[in-house]
Amino acid sequence: MNCKKVEKLILRAFDGRLHEDEKREQEQHLKQCPQCRTTQEEYKLILDTLRKEDFPEPKPYFWERLQPKLTERKKYEPWMVWKQWGMRAIPVSLLIIIFLSATLLLFSPPREEVELSQAFSQSGLLLLQNQSPLQETTALFETGGTEDKNMMLIFTSLEDKNGTRRDF
Amino acid sequence: MEEKDLVRSSKEGDEEAFASLVKKYRVKVFNLAFSLTRDRDTADDLAQEVFIKAYFALPRFELRSEFGTWLYRITINHVRDFLRKTSRMKRLSLDEIKESSIPQEDETMKREKEKTEEQRKKIVHRAIQILPDKHQVILTLRDIQGLSYEEITKILRISPGTVDSRLHRARKLLRKKLAPFLSQKGGNHELQEG
Repeated sequence: MNCKKVEKLILRAFDGRLHEDEKREQEQHLKQCPQCRTTQEEYKLILDTLRKEDFPEPKPYFWERLQPKLTERKKYEPWMVWKQWGMRAIPVSLLIIIFLSATLLLFSPPREEVELSQAFSQSGLLLLQNQSPLQETTALFETGGTEDKNMMLIFTSLEDKNGTRRDF
Repeated sequence: MEEKDLVRSSKEGDEEAFASLVKKYRVKVFNLAFSLTRDRDTADDLAQEVFIKAYFALPRFELRSEFGTWLYRITINHVRDFLRKTSRMKRLSLDEIKESSIPQEDETMKREKEKTEEQRKKIVHRAIQILPDKHQVILTLRDIQGLSYEEITKILRISPGTVDSRLHRARKLLRKKLAPFLSQKGGNHELQEG
């Protein structure tokens, strides 16, 4: 076994991670090799120094000093602001959306009707209803004097352009 | 209340539950910060900052790992960031220790022994602080804090094989740094001034 491998075993031995056969090999090598014995003693000195560490006490009133800092930071932390206000806003927003959707569904005109009135002119609608678009005009020609007929024709044409109908 | 319940309550903003966690872990967090900085005031400030960080990161903590492991990870990252920013420790060299380590001739044997012990500690810790970050951290976790290999693998998120090889490399490097101070004296090895 060479010294490099023994150095590895020396360090693993400090962690109690040597198998029995490795332990035997290491001991045999150490008996014969003064250089590796020196290495072992040096590592022992270093690790003992590290492991005997004395820690000072943390300063007193740790939590009492920490709490105001947490409170202060909470004001500026985006997540906390979101948690405080955003979480409450979610159900309120949902309720408003549901209410508005229900209102629109209940009070809007039936979709088909809107589409028909927009897609066809008054004459087209009358044709769809199997009625003559000239029905009113014919009725005007059949009744009244010439002046009345002319006036009524003028008003009818004007109303037709505005898209509104009027019963005579 | 169990630790997991305390963590759950803290996640919901319960400060009293968080205070219990702080009480349980403040010494461990402080000791780890102290091991890496060697300064009580700095370690105390860093420990406070670690708990503030942890409190605001709690909503993202999913209880998959132990709270202590998670807190240790935050501490290591926070102290590393601090050391990188300040680079205070790295600027100090072992020569400064050499200068201040000459014992006075009129000191009693006992006092001299105590002083030697104290000096040895200083030299070893200073040597750790001039090692690369990852070696400094692994030596601190294993040889100063005494954490198990398993705990270290969880905290650093590395495999047991990597812990083994990194620790071996770190100890070798430390010994190399301390080589000028290691000398044989009457059959015992001592760390002495150069």
